Amino acid sequence: MRNYQEILDTLIDVSKHPLRQVKEFKARTGHKAIGCFPEYVPSELVYAAGMFPVGLWGGSVENSRAKEYVPAFCCYVLMSDLEYGLNGTYKDIDAVIIPSLCDTLKCLGQNFKVAVPSIKHIQFTYPQMRKIEAGVTFLESEYGRVLAALEEICGTKVTDKAISEAINVFNDNRRALRRFVGLASEHTDVITPVIRHAVIKSGFFMEKPQHTALVNELCDALSALPVSKKGKRVLLTGIMADDDAMLNILTDNGLAIAVDDLAQETRQFRYDVPSEGGSAMHRLAMWWQIFEGCSLAYDPEKKRIDMILEDVDKYDAKGVIVCMMKFCDPEEYDYPLLKDALEKKGVPCLYMEIDQKAEAQAQTRIQAFSEIL
Amino acid sequence: MYTIGIDIGSTACKAVALKDGKEIVGSSIIQTGTGTSGPGRVYEDVFKAAGLMPEGVSRIVVTGYGRLTFEKADNQISELSCHAKGVHFLMPQARTIIDIGGQDAKALKLSPAGTLTGFVMNDKCAAGTGRFLDVMAKILEVDVGELAELSSRSTERISISNVCTVFAESEVISQLAAGKKREDIAAGIHMSVANRVAGLARRVGIEPDVVLTGGVAQNLGVIRAMSEILEMNILPAPMPQLTGALGAAIFAYDEAIKLK
Repeated sequence: MRNYQEILDTLIDVSKHPLRQVKEFKARTGHKAIGCFPEYVPSELVYAAGMFPVGLWGGSVENSRAKEYVPAFCCYVLMSDLEYGLNGTYKDIDAVIIPSLCDTLKCLGQNFKVAVPSIKHIQFTYPQMRKIEAGVTFLESEYGRVLAALEEICGTKVTDKAISEAINVFNDNRRALRRFVGLASEHTDVITPVIRHAVIKSGFFMEKPQHTALVNELCDALSALPVSKKGKRVLLTGIMADDDAMLNILTDNGLAIAVDDLAQETRQFRYDVPSEGGSAMHRLAMWWQIFEGCSLAYDPEKKRIDMILEDVDKYDAKGVIVCMMKFCDPEEYDYPLLKDALEKKGVPCLYMEIDQKAEAQAQTRIQAFSEIL
Repeated sequence: MYTIGIDIGSTACKAVALKDGKEIVGSSIIQTGTGTSGPGRVYEDVFKAAGLMPEGVSRIVVTGYGRLTFEKADNQISELSCHAKGVHFLMPQARTIIDIGGQDAKALKLSPAGTLTGFVMNDKCAAGTGRFLDVMAKILEVDVGELAELSSRSTERISISNVCTVFAESEVISQLAAGKKREDIAAGIHMSVANRVAGLARRVGIEPDVVLTGGVAQNLGVIRAMSEILEMNILPAPMPQLTGALGAAIFAYDEAIKLK
């Protein structure tokens, strides 16, 4: 068994060099790379078509050209995706899949299509009424459109069997990441917030079987270590906590991540695509029906709040940090409910606005929160 | 036992020397903040004010915006915890603290035992902070310390934006150009700060007594405006600029006792 540090080094390196990964894949296979916009995209279809699904979660860039197309109150992750498209950073991406999950994504898709004509644009819509059969049927038809566009790009037909195999590959990855999240919670001495994020994020830039193998190997190595729940344990919730500077401030102030409820992290792999029950495409569409706990998936019961409270208990979190993506309406609508629920439960909560960079006050806010805990 | 708390802010440095965690034996305020000679001067000054030598002090805790770069302290603690500690020492009945400093504003919630249970800070914007008042005083051609007296003579209410310092500055210039009285504009400026900060305070949940700290607590115009907006009595802390340093000195005492 390899030393866990060796595996971590590989995963951290991948998480820091997504574009190198894309170039390397294309040179090695001659196949194309498809960018998958936040937050949820049926990447299995890309994999089934023999192409490389790459998570496009923006980055720390000075948004300049993007402001020609979107207002200043556009969330930074999507604005930076547009900026990267415009400034050529995404030049090795052959097409992007953009889900219409929020008002910003609906408009941004159109903007991307016009602003970055060199990258093919595939947009699809998730059904609002996702719990009824018609919702699943609608999503199947939307995925059918996505698949047809992908087939045109790769030049081959994709069979239901290939999609089914892709589902298995992605479910294996989801299971590995769930296992990792559980072990990370019990080895906070080794799995710091930055490392934890890098392990999960690297999955967006690696071929899934390779990522799954590495994560499982890492989990085996972690399992052999004594349990260490070092630090004051917190739950992170929100769209993403991608800024290493901010994550390092958590470590510097003695905080450890007990578990997360981030769209870029646990929400991606909390549920498997059903392994049975109809065609592969139907099962892929069913995932959106069974999916819970995200502000972007319509839920009049707001089960997300109870799920967070349950995780606070299950993972022994002493506080919750709300990583509020600036200008993200869906997340902002959930916040008052979450704040009330946490107050009633007596769980301290820190509201952090997430922008391109760790804000100047992040150190003070996080330190004071740690002092409260 | 003597301990010292130093609060290095963005526009001023403050220090308090404490005997046995209870008695203030010296203090100092230097009106320049982090990145200037202020931290070094306040350090020397507080020893002089208290008649102490470094070897006679058991422990020093630093707080404030410049706390991470100050090397002469034994520990650093966030200003939020220190303000809570200092205000609770001076006014144990306080449950909400509004701290308006040079470039940030905070609302703090305290338990009956005086521990910090929650807080809200301003975002990346100078509106609702001391800096906003500095900018406005400059346009009105008065010292910032004269704004309160000026606004007390106001007869007409003028609304000034609380969204952005730069926009507000243009607004004030337009009002002056339109012949509006400086007294009324000054009152409008205080309402603007108070409105902005009241929003923060409401987010944390207001519970009386509400205590105002920070340099801006010396401005009666802001206190009047805040009382009007929040419809309750706002109490200025007795030594509003020093509550953070006082809290740090108390923390230093608590730590020194534990280490004994």
